[in-house]
Amino acid sequence: MHKKIFRSSLLTVCLVLIATIALIMGFLFHFFEKQIQAELANEAGFLAQAVENEGIGYFDGFDDKNSRPSRNNRVTWIGKDGTVLFDSRVDASELDNHADRDEIKTAMKDGKGMSTRYSKTLTEKTVNYAIRLSDGSVLRVSTEQYTVITILMGMLQPILITISVALILTLALSARVSKAIIEPVNRLDLDVPENNDTYEELTPLLRKIANQKETIEEQLADARKNQKEFNLITENMSEGFLVIDADANLLTYNSAALNLLEITPPADRSVLLFCRAKEFRGVISDALSGIRAEDIMARDEHSYSLIANPVFEGETVIGAVVVILDITEREKRDTLRREFTANVSHELKTPLTSISGFAELMKAGDVPEKDVVDFSESIYDEAQRLITLVNDIIKISELDGQSIPFESEPVDLYELSKEVIGRLENEAEKRQVTFHLIGDRAEIMGVYKILEEMLYNLCDNAIKYNKENGTVDVLVNQTGDSVNVIVRDTGMGISPAHQGRVFERFYRVDKSHSKKVGGTGLGLAIVKHGAMYHHAKISLESTVDVGTAITIAFAKI
Amino acid sequence: MRNKFDRQLSQLNTELITMGALCEEAITNAVRYLTDNDEDSRIMCLDADTQIDKKERDIETLCLKLILQQQPVAKDLRIVSAALKMISDMERIGDQASDIVEIAPYAARKGTLGETHIREMAEAAIKMVSESIDSFVKMNLDIACLVIEHDNIVDDLFDKVKRELIKSIAEGQDDAEALMDLFMIAKYFERIGDHAENIAEWVIYSITGAHRKNSEKPLRKEE
Repeated sequence: MHKKIFRSSLLTVCLVLIATIALIMGFLFHFFEKQIQAELANEAGFLAQAVENEGIGYFDGFDDKNSRPSRNNRVTWIGKDGTVLFDSRVDASELDNHADRDEIKTAMKDGKGMSTRYSKTLTEKTVNYAIRLSDGSVLRVSTEQYTVITILMGMLQPILITISVALILTLALSARVSKAIIEPVNRLDLDVPENNDTYEELTPLLRKIANQKETIEEQLADARKNQKEFNLITENMSEGFLVIDADANLLTYNSAALNLLEITPPADRSVLLFCRAKEFRGVISDALSGIRAEDIMARDEHSYSLIANPVFEGETVIGAVVVILDITEREKRDTLRREFTANVSHELKTPLTSISGFAELMKAGDVPEKDVVDFSESIYDEAQRLITLVNDIIKISELDGQSIPFESEPVDLYELSKEVIGRLENEAEKRQVTFHLIGDRAEIMGVYKILEEMLYNLCDNAIKYNKENGTVDVLVNQTGDSVNVIVRDTGMGISPAHQGRVFERFYRVDKSHSKKVGGTGLGLAIVKHGAMYHHAKISLESTVDVGTAITIAFAKI
Repeated sequence: MRNKFDRQLSQLNTELITMGALCEEAITNAVRYLTDNDEDSRIMCLDADTQIDKKERDIETLCLKLILQQQPVAKDLRIVSAALKMISDMERIGDQASDIVEIAPYAARKGTLGETHIREMAEAAIKMVSESIDSFVKMNLDIACLVIEHDNIVDDLFDKVKRELIKSIAEGQDDAEALMDLFMIAKYFERIGDHAENIAEWVIYSITGAHRKNSEKPLRKEE
């Protein structure tokens, strides 16, 4: 803008300057020409009068060129037939007939004539004025005048100096003027367009800028808010979330997806760079062809559920949204549930098969009288086993669902242990196992029934899986912030491979001996759920053929 | 115009990744069929091979289109020409995986398979294929160099398996013909390793502009 204003003003000044010079020259020239012509006519008039009075004799005085120094105009006298009778500059006899000259012709016809002739170089102009005398001859006066070009050439130096001075002045002034015009525009503070005190022509523009600025800010704030909400939602999802375009290039992802797929920046590349598993490719190509797709993908010992939804714009698919869920835990739970169901059915079926078998034999009447009692006893035992099993399952589901509210009360674990040991004394004697109760009174808040069940199961296991002449130590002690019950036996122990699983329902280390040892396979599961109910921690230490110690740490009251 | 070119290059990249993933699938399934005799794996392997063949034609067409219409230069040209070379190696990997599946039923798999180092060979070959595709996907020079080093492991294992099989034949432990089929499978794994190595070399070429076999330059830039 600065440049443009500068250039325009400079150009304007130059044009004005040139036009002025041209016009002045033109007018001056025209004015002088008129004056010369008037002078010529005047002189011609006087000369004609003189010639009329004196005849050719008048020209005698012209011979001495210096006698009339002021006379530098050329005077020619031309006879009626056009022959030159006298010329003040050249010998008349050397000149040819002048009858065809414009001014002569006009003068002969009209009494006076005028013509202008340019020299070959155009640097000089001759103005002729002819007047007819009474005898028909013609008197002509000529004078030379410089042409415009000559005058210009002569004045070149002053003109150039003038132009140069004017140009320098213009340059300086134009620069200052354009700067001064631009200055307020440059000083505009576009952050607060309305606060500017500047040309009033700019006010509508500034107002418009202010309005648009406001609109843009609002829209930006909206967009930022949306983005923030979106980020909050996606970042707090534990599911991986991906948005891809129609060419499967990654557009957006959340940090969960970043972790699941190990995405490394820059991320705006094909999503297949980060995962090219068959299932993943499958759901993506399905989604990009417009079909919702689901699949399960295994990767690094984890199972992921993939859900891909196409994103439509009108009829065309412009991308897809992929959600990745880590379903490893769920899959594991599903497996456990399936195993549990299979185990329950098996455990329920075994005693029922026996009962049904014995009953069938008795029904057929094939059983001798003396065996009926034995058979009945077997049926009774199996039925008892079933009842215990069903009771255990009910207990576990009660603890599991925590549906029945239990009354918490202060329970002395030492007393409780004593009581449980008392109840198991017979069993222990049968297997030649001795109990030691070590420790002191330690009260906790808990549900007596559940705690009793837990301790009973632990001690029962300690007897069942003990060796002959083994011992079971029950320790009740208090540490910093917990009350611990430790049941330690000197039995067969549990190998590390099984240690993690013994608390699962129906899990048995040695499946083939379950019948011999007895039990429902739910004992430790009940202990685990009881501990969970009381927010207690269970830990297990065991060495094969040395023994097992299970510690339950309750929080102190 | 440039935009279209970029899009085509990115499409080429995606197609190559897909083809690589199919190769991984083909060989993994072939190995699973060989060791576990899982019928599904056999079908999946043959299916992957069919898809690989189709992908090869698709990518070839795309590459030629790129060269003719866009006339790429410098790195872009290297990528396109390396792609053209890579797909033939990938296609061979697919073929060899299906060859393994075809002769697996006749090979001596019981007993002998466990006694030889074929399993290790298979695992090493799968790893090489996986890593060569990885090196391409991530355009990673280090992984590519690692693949080339790994080829020695597969070659050594092949020698080991060869000696083991010769011993078995000499001792008359198993049907000699079945042992020879097993030997063929070992050879296929060895070839798969070579193809994976080739892929890695083309990856290096598209990154550095120097092909290992044609240049005396060191593979890694001196740091």
